[in-house]
This record gives sequence, structure tokens and C-alpha cells, in this order.
Amino acid sequence: MKFFKKITFTALAAVFAVSASFAGGASAAGKLSGKITVNGSTALLPLTLQAAKEFQRTNPKVRIAASGKGSVTGPQAVKKGIADIGACDWDASTDVPGFKAFSGQVANKVAVIPFATIVNKNVGVDNLTTDQLKGIFSGKITNWKQVGGADADIVVITRAFGSGTRVNYQAKALAGGDIVKKEKNYKEVGSSGDMKTAVGTTPNAIGYIDLVYVSGDVKAVKFNGVAATTDNVINGSYKIWAYGYYMTKGQPTGAVKAFIDYVQSKKFQQGSLKKLKFIPISAMK
Amino acid sequence: MAQQSYEPNPAVQSIRTKAVSGRRHLRHLLANTAARYYFLFSILALCFVLALVILFIGKTALLLFGQVSPVKFFLSFDWTPEEDRFGAAAFILNTLSLTALTLLISVPVSVGMAVLTAEIAPAWLKRLIRPILDLLVGIPSIVYGYLGLTVLLPLLRRASGEGLGDGLLAAALVLALMVLPTIARISDDAITAVPRKYRDAAYALGSTRLQVIMRVVLPAAGRGILTAVILGMTRAIGETMAVVMVIGNTPQLAKTLFTPASVLTSNIVMQISNVEFDSTWNYALHMMAFLLLLISFLLILIVRFLGRKRREG
Repeated sequence: MKFFKKITFTALAAVFAVSASFAGGASAAGKLSGKITVNGSTALLPLTLQAAKEFQRTNPKVRIAASGKGSVTGPQAVKKGIADIGACDWDASTDVPGFKAFSGQVANKVAVIPFATIVNKNVGVDNLTTDQLKGIFSGKITNWKQVGGADADIVVITRAFGSGTRVNYQAKALAGGDIVKKEKNYKEVGSSGDMKTAVGTTPNAIGYIDLVYVSGDVKAVKFNGVAATTDNVINGSYKIWAYGYYMTKGQPTGAVKAFIDYVQSKKFQQGSLKKLKFIPISAMK
Repeated sequence: MAQQSYEPNPAVQSIRTKAVSGRRHLRHLLANTAARYYFLFSILALCFVLALVILFIGKTALLLFGQVSPVKFFLSFDWTPEEDRFGAAAFILNTLSLTALTLLISVPVSVGMAVLTAEIAPAWLKRLIRPILDLLVGIPSIVYGYLGLTVLLPLLRRASGEGLGDGLLAAALVLALMVLPTIARISDDAITAVPRKYRDAAYALGSTRLQVIMRVVLPAAGRGILTAVILGMTRAIGETMAVVMVIGNTPQLAKTLFTPASVLTSNIVMQISNVEFDSTWNYALHMMAFLLLLISFLLILIVRFLGRKRREG
């Protein structure tokens, strides 16, 4: 019995010693605890989920819950106190067409998202200028003949008002121009996946999408003569891209700050983020 | 267990039976009471949730009329929410015409199928058709929508010469396929339930098979078939995912079968995630959801009413 007690005591002592030394050694990372809620853009969701998985490996006491709905729900959730981080495809601390600025919120850049103009593969046009795109989406240009293609009606496929992709595409590709709904040959879709299917299966269709989705039945057209590639985004010649943001109420602190720092760190930006086909923010400087 | 420990001694037996029956009585009482309270609780919980849904949707919806007049909302065709113009008339009319068109396509076909399975088909064909229809009811609507988008739309484009092919016709065809098994199976049950003596009497009077079906069986099963049609209708009105993929989602009145249009459900699902929480736009979408709720509530009331009449008659 005595022998048994001795062993137990020794074991307990050892456990205490080990855990104490661990707590002392890993004070910087291990002390972080709490719950981070991320809400907002579906485009940034894969990035958030991957980052959360990696971040929790080194900070097991931090619990991260992420969900995606629409870009604008991000800053709104932050405003209402539902979420700590609002993922948004535009800088929600400034005015964008349709949405007022969210005052008191700080925009933390986390990624670069390139967008592309896509057409059905039966369309013969390879290059479109800003003016031509403005004409097409505002309904002034209605036939591919007018922009150097075959004699066929242009079918415009667009995202619903308020979509982050649409906000950015309007700002960058259409130079702030309007997308006008038409009586015919005009369709709105609910997500990037629907956009790809719709443009891919509708002859003479034109639409726009995140560059990473471009493949198969749709082809990306050049913008003002520049091909839509990540290289051209990085070297500054292709202009249709935007930063993805993590909106926070004031400057981030504690675990939230540590998480955003991790997403912005060189390790994540050059590793997992690139693998997910986003572009690191540092590439744009 | 009780049978194994059976003993022939009458005294022991009587005591045991008494004890067992006492325990059984207690058990019954307990089980019955517990079950009764459990079911009562379930029903109350369900009612509570339903009340919450109606209350919260209705509350948010009614906030709309503080900012937009009901006349504008129900009668204006101009839905440009980004510029504060909230006219839902186009969606309401599109919803009604889509439902009507769906029923126009699906009712004759599905009632015909019901007659076939219930009256005409040999037993082996019945055994084949019924499980297939049951299976079709369970297919998720998004699958129908995707098939509509990738298979039906190109066909419609080729047939009509339109650039897009989206519109009421495409949506009605997809919906008709979706509600067809529902209507066919319930009508089938209604027709099967018509007493055999009606048919025998009609045949005895020298009727042909067609006459028996048209003049005797269908009128006798009439209310059941009507219930089936209304259930199909509620499904068609509330259906979202399949419709949203093939209707075009442009908020305008569908003047032709190929005009890209929008119905109540598709408009809600397209816009709700891009709208600010406390905005007129959000209230307007809630109002549209509330309208849908009222419409299906009304339809269910009609079904109940018809059911009661049938029992009385």
C-alpha cells in the first residue's frame, strides 16, 4: 500500500512539474483563450476556416466559430455585437454604392481577390474595354456584333444587388457604372457557382466571377488588352481585383488581434492562402 | 419471464396474479399519464414555435407599413429597393400565375396517372409505379432545379429561339414535375378508396369502363382529388430552390412565358443575405414571407374545410 502511494505521489509530482514548466515556457501563445466569432462573406470563408484550423493548433484554448452569409452581414454582425470579426469583400468603413460606411469599424486587409469577366465559350470576343463593358452592363450595347463578335444578342448574367462580387466588379471593371436590368436577356443568380453554371450553359452569355472559379465551359476575357491572371494582378497591369477585409469594432485586441495577425503573417499568406488561390496582400506593394 | 416462473399452487398463483395485475395497473397508469403529458407537451411546444414564427415574421413585416404605404406595396410594380421603391405587385401576380400554370400542366397528367394506377393497370404495374412515385417525392428540389438549368433550359432555348429561355414556362415545367408525384399518389389513394359497389352497380347498368371512370369513380373521389391538387399547390407556391435557378430573377411582371421574372420565394432568397438588418428593404422581404405564410395558411384551411364536408357527406 505504501509503495503504491509513493508511486502515485511521484507520478502526480511529475505531472505538476511538467505542466508547470509548460505553462512557463509557452506563456506568449498558450495564455490566449476565448471565443472568436467570424461572420460575413462566403468568398472569404474558406480562408477563415483554414486559418482557424491552423491557429487553433498553436492556441488550443481559443475557440473560433466561422459562418458565411453575405458580405454586408459581416460588418452588420460586428455592429450588433454578434460577431467579433466581420468578413467583407469591400472596405465597409467607407461608403460604397448601396451601402453606407460603418462608422467606428476598422478594416483589416487579409487577402487580395481577383475577379474576371467571363463569357460562354461560344463567344468569339477575347478582349473588352472598360467602355464596352459599361455599354454591355448598362444595356446600351445589346449585340456581340457591336464589340467585334458574331451577330447575336448579348445575354447579361449578373449577381443580385449587394453581392460583394458585384460591388467590386462595378467599382473596378465598370468604373462605377450601373448594371441595369433589362426586359429580356438578363438574369440574376445567387452565387458564384450559379454564375459559372449559367454562363457555361447559356450561349452568348457574359458575366463575372472570382478568378479562381474560371475553368471548363467559361472563358475569361482580357480587360483593356490585359489577360486575367494572378501574375498580371501582382505586376499591376490587371485592374479588376479587390482586398478582402476583416472588419472589427475599433482596433482588434487580445485573441482577435492574434488571429488577424496570424492571417496576415507571412507564414499563412505565403502558404495556405496561396494554396486557396487568393493573392497575398504583401504582393500588391 | 412470468410464464417460466409459473407455479401450480393456487394460493401462490392468486397472490402473484394480484401482485402482477397491481403492478401492471400501476405501470399502465404511469405510462398512460406520462405519455399523455409527453404528447401534450409536444403539441404545446409545436404550437409555441409556430406562434413564435408567425409573431416574429409578422412583427418585422408590419414595421414595413410605417415606412411604405400598403397601397404602394401591393399595387405598385416598381421594385427598386436600392432607390427605396418597394412595389411587390409583380411578385404576387407572378407567384399566382406560376402556380396556375403549374397546375394547368400537372393536374391533367397526374390525375390521369392516378386513374391508370388505381383503375386500369394490372397489379404488377401498380406495384412498380407506386414506389417510383413515392421515391420521386423525396428527391431534393435543388436537384430538379439543376436539371432544369442544365437540361430543360437549352431545350427551351432551341425550341423558342430565345437567348435565355428563363421564365414562367421553365419554372412551371420544373414545378409540374415536382408536384406530379404528390398529386398522383394522393389522388390514387382517393380513387382506390371509392367503394367497389359503385363500380359494380354502374357496370350492372351496362356502362363502359370509360363511363364508369368519368361518371362514377372520378366524381366520387372528387374531394380527395381536390385535396391532392391543393397540397400540390401549396408545394408549388412555397418552392424556392428549383424555381430560383430557372426563372431569371428579374423583378418585373412576366408578360410572356419567356420573360425573366421573379416570384415571392425566389426574390426573398436572392436578396435576404445582402440586406441590412434594420432596413425598409428587410421589412419588405419579411412582408413578402408573411404573405406566403398567409397564402399557405388559407390553402390549408380550405383543405380542412373540404375534409370535414366529406366526412359529413
